[in-house]
Amino acid sequence: MSQQDFAGAAPLLTSTALLVRLRLRRLWNLMLSGQLGKKAGNKPGNKTNAKVRSGNPGKKSSAVLVFTVWPLMLFAFGSIIRNAVVTLHDRLDPGGFWLTVEFSAAFTVGLAFMLLTLWFASLLMTVASGELVKAEWDLEWLVTLPVRAETLLWARILERSIVNPSGFIMLLPACIVIAWYSGYRWSAPLVGLLAAWPLLLLAALGRTLLDTGLRLRMSASRLRNLHAVISVLSIVTMYLAMSMGLAGKGRFMLGIAAGMPEWLAWTPPGLVVRVLNERTFIEAAWLVFELLAEVAIILWLGVQILQNQLRHGVISGGARDTARAPPSPVEVASDSKTPGASRLKLTAVQWRELTLLSRDRNFLVQCLVVPLLIVGGQLLLGSSGIATSMWRDPNVLASVGFGLAAYSLSMSAFQTLNSEGQALWLLYTFPCSFEEVLKDKARLWGAMTLLYPLILFAVGMFVMPGVGWKFCAAVITTFLGIPIYAFIAVALGVFGSNPLEQHQSQKVKPEYVYLYMGLAGLYIYAVVTPNFYQRIVFMVLTLLLSFALWQKARDRLPYLLDPDVAPPAKVSISDGLIAAMVFFVIQGIIMAIGGGVTISGAALLFAFAIAGALTYTLMRYVYARTRTEGVPRLRGDDNRPIIPVVAGLAAGACAIVYLLALRGSPWLDQAKQASNTWVELGYWVVPLALIAAPIFEEFIFRGLIYGGLRRSFGQWPAALTSAALFACLHPPISIAPVFVLGVATAFAYERSRGLLAPMLTHATYNACVIGAQMLMS
Amino acid sequence: MIEFQDLTRSYGDFTAVRPLQLNVQRGEVFGFLGPNGAGKTTTIRMMMGILVPSSGRAMIAGLDCHTQRAEVQRHVGYLPDNPIYYDFLRGREILQFVAEMHGMGRREAAERAARMLTEFGLEDVVNEFAVNYSMGMKKKLGLACALIHDPEVLILDEPINGLDPRAARDVQERLRLAAASGKTIFMSTHLLDMAERVCTRVGIIHRGELVATGTLSELRERLAPGGSLEEVFLKVTEEDLAPAATA
Repeated sequence: MSQQDFAGAAPLLTSTALLVRLRLRRLWNLMLSGQLGKKAGNKPGNKTNAKVRSGNPGKKSSAVLVFTVWPLMLFAFGSIIRNAVVTLHDRLDPGGFWLTVEFSAAFTVGLAFMLLTLWFASLLMTVASGELVKAEWDLEWLVTLPVRAETLLWARILERSIVNPSGFIMLLPACIVIAWYSGYRWSAPLVGLLAAWPLLLLAALGRTLLDTGLRLRMSASRLRNLHAVISVLSIVTMYLAMSMGLAGKGRFMLGIAAGMPEWLAWTPPGLVVRVLNERTFIEAAWLVFELLAEVAIILWLGVQILQNQLRHGVISGGARDTARAPPSPVEVASDSKTPGASRLKLTAVQWRELTLLSRDRNFLVQCLVVPLLIVGGQLLLGSSGIATSMWRDPNVLASVGFGLAAYSLSMSAFQTLNSEGQALWLLYTFPCSFEEVLKDKARLWGAMTLLYPLILFAVGMFVMPGVGWKFCAAVITTFLGIPIYAFIAVALGVFGSNPLEQHQSQKVKPEYVYLYMGLAGLYIYAVVTPNFYQRIVFMVLTLLLSFALWQKARDRLPYLLDPDVAPPAKVSISDGLIAAMVFFVIQGIIMAIGGGVTISGAALLFAFAIAGALTYTLMRYVYARTRTEGVPRLRGDDNRPIIPVVAGLAAGACAIVYLLALRGSPWLDQAKQASNTWVELGYWVVPLALIAAPIFEEFIFRGLIYGGLRRSFGQWPAALTSAALFACLHPPISIAPVFVLGVATAFAYERSRGLLAPMLTHATYNACVIGAQMLMS
Repeated sequence: MIEFQDLTRSYGDFTAVRPLQLNVQRGEVFGFLGPNGAGKTTTIRMMMGILVPSSGRAMIAGLDCHTQRAEVQRHVGYLPDNPIYYDFLRGREILQFVAEMHGMGRREAAERAARMLTEFGLEDVVNEFAVNYSMGMKKKLGLACALIHDPEVLILDEPINGLDPRAARDVQERLRLAAASGKTIFMSTHLLDMAERVCTRVGIIHRGELVATGTLSELRERLAPGGSLEEVFLKVTEEDLAPAATA
């Protein structure tokens, strides 16, 4: 790069301003592009925008999310920092607390140390969140402009000091809090911002030295390793910085702060604290001068180093991964072995995924180490005491194991499509469905992440006092939940990822990650609840949810690279789940409005019938509007009543045997007190049990849920799963007979392909049970 | 072998491909010509099941390219205009992975991959990560991926675009061999000399419409007597010209 000044080149300030504006404009476009593109594209007759072929539909909510999450994060972080300042003061400058005070020397050093830690954490986070290996999008292009390299570097540092989200979140609250306690009150935010800027400039320099400079020096594979190390360090540093503000957790960092040398007060962070705290104008001005001079000298030195680094150009061999590295001995060995022995029966996709994982240290760290740090950090810093109680209570241990696995899945299974990235086209050339490829990956990650609970439980077996049924139940719940969540993560990842995006931060739609995290949180409840029945219900619901999501994803898959086209609407499991929920909610609302405490038969019939009719009408309306395929019919291919009635009688017989077996047991009495039996509801039960229940329940559970399941699964898995859900939504005492009924009605529906048959089965069954209960009472 | 039945694709109000009718016989080398943005890549992506037709359908070997995508891929090898590969995988490993995905056993896949790499002159770089390959090497690797399962049909999007003369000749030679072995080839290009040399029949697409199809001599005779394919091309893709008759 030439050092000479070009005639006609823009001067430093102008070109810096231009570059900063360019970068800000790009950031702005990035945040709003989804919204604008969408709106314009929908406008009919708009010729220029009609051609918009945005590869990313639905970025709308991201911007909203950014604008709501940010202030929240700033606020939360601010309160932690305030606590940190208060604790620091207690430790280093004991005495009453104050609003305006001159900081003692020790306290100043402590605050400087805190700022330094925050600064370091923000720097590491910024580097970790970017992509160290990929060249910056613009530098290659910018060097072709008639601007001196030095100008470019200055502009880059300036611009990065302004566009630095994690820097602002870390440093701004701290500076504001220090300004507040120095007596600035309501001007503290502005003063804090001004005070944070010199530090942000230094952070920008550090980041530029790391990514622009190192990229030219190191090979890509080493850079990736470094990136992995930095992302681990960034989390650790962030936790350390935060620990000072958390009650009872900051001993370690406070100790270090107390031992910091005096000269820290003359470094930039120390000078920032002193400037903020200085009362006399002349002194403050002198300190500002010192601060600016120090920052300027550091920046100048940094730019000299950068220029030196860039002297051979902006691109080097660094973009190339290990050139012509010979295959490692392990791989050569695995090639020569027989197929079965070397691959543990892994499919080609799973084998490739593991190869990538073993070579890409960054991927490895993100998937397997970062979850440990994040969840571990939460446990150690949180106030819940889980870190100790998990070695006593197997349910708590299980929840930690599940949490680790679920977090790891959000980095791995959720990213299934993103890890294919630009090479996604290859999948289109294979004679197998995407679903198979995704299933392979879901299985792989489901199995890999089982390692976390496996290790925890293995340790738990030795540490815990007794290993009883509770321990076993916790193990089973966890080990069943993780594979289910691997499938949920892959399915949500289909909707939540943009594999063709270049920029790392655009690859994931955050709302889907939050949805996944929320769903994973629900299952934690299943893991910790001591109630066996609730646990079963949760597991069935989660399983069904994973089926529903998987089906949605499967419908979407052929349209993956074609976001302009929506798959045709088909009746799916999720419709059934929604209908069931609507039905119960409406029923509940009506009961709450009209019923009061005692439930009369009339009220129940009324609520049930209205809720059923409303749900039915609503679903049919939506189906008609969306021209959905596969809406259940009333009359089927085979409408003879014999088989449905026989099926109903058989299920009824099972129920009667069950009732007789339970007769006189305390469990039955308890259950009777908890809910009404059919008989106690009086004559209203006849139309309810023989007409309303069969009609509406069959529409939802057989028509929608079994029908939706049947589209993706065989007859028996679909029948058993829908029956399990059907049973779960009944009182615990009737789970077993209702499950049998669910299977019988599914059988009747499958044979007839019309809803009349299962309705008849259902009515016959109810008649049997009511008859038996009347006789028995 | 390849059949378009009123194949159409629109993005919102913009129609990228207007109802296309086309039949490519077994063993033909069909050149799909057209200026930039004419709808070539959109058409090819519909053939690969990457994009969904707005109406009509593309058929290969009697199978629908959208609804029976996986079946179709048994018969098809595909080379995109800019093949991008996984980071951290070597050329040999990618080829072997592709072969395995086509149902070959691990050992067979490895042997086949090694043979293809030698045939394509890539043996020097087998152990380098494929993302580091030059464009010519990437295209050759892509062609090897497309041919590894010995498909009946090859679909190539700009196969020699961006290649140096030697690499371009290598690829053309490969294509000629493939054609000689009876494969049906459908390739898009805007390089007319390549079309002249390799194709048995061409179709010219302009603004999403097939404005001319026929053998090269037919087209020349009818549209620019005594002229070159270039003149034919310029004539039928002239702006504001009503679609010329199809031969």
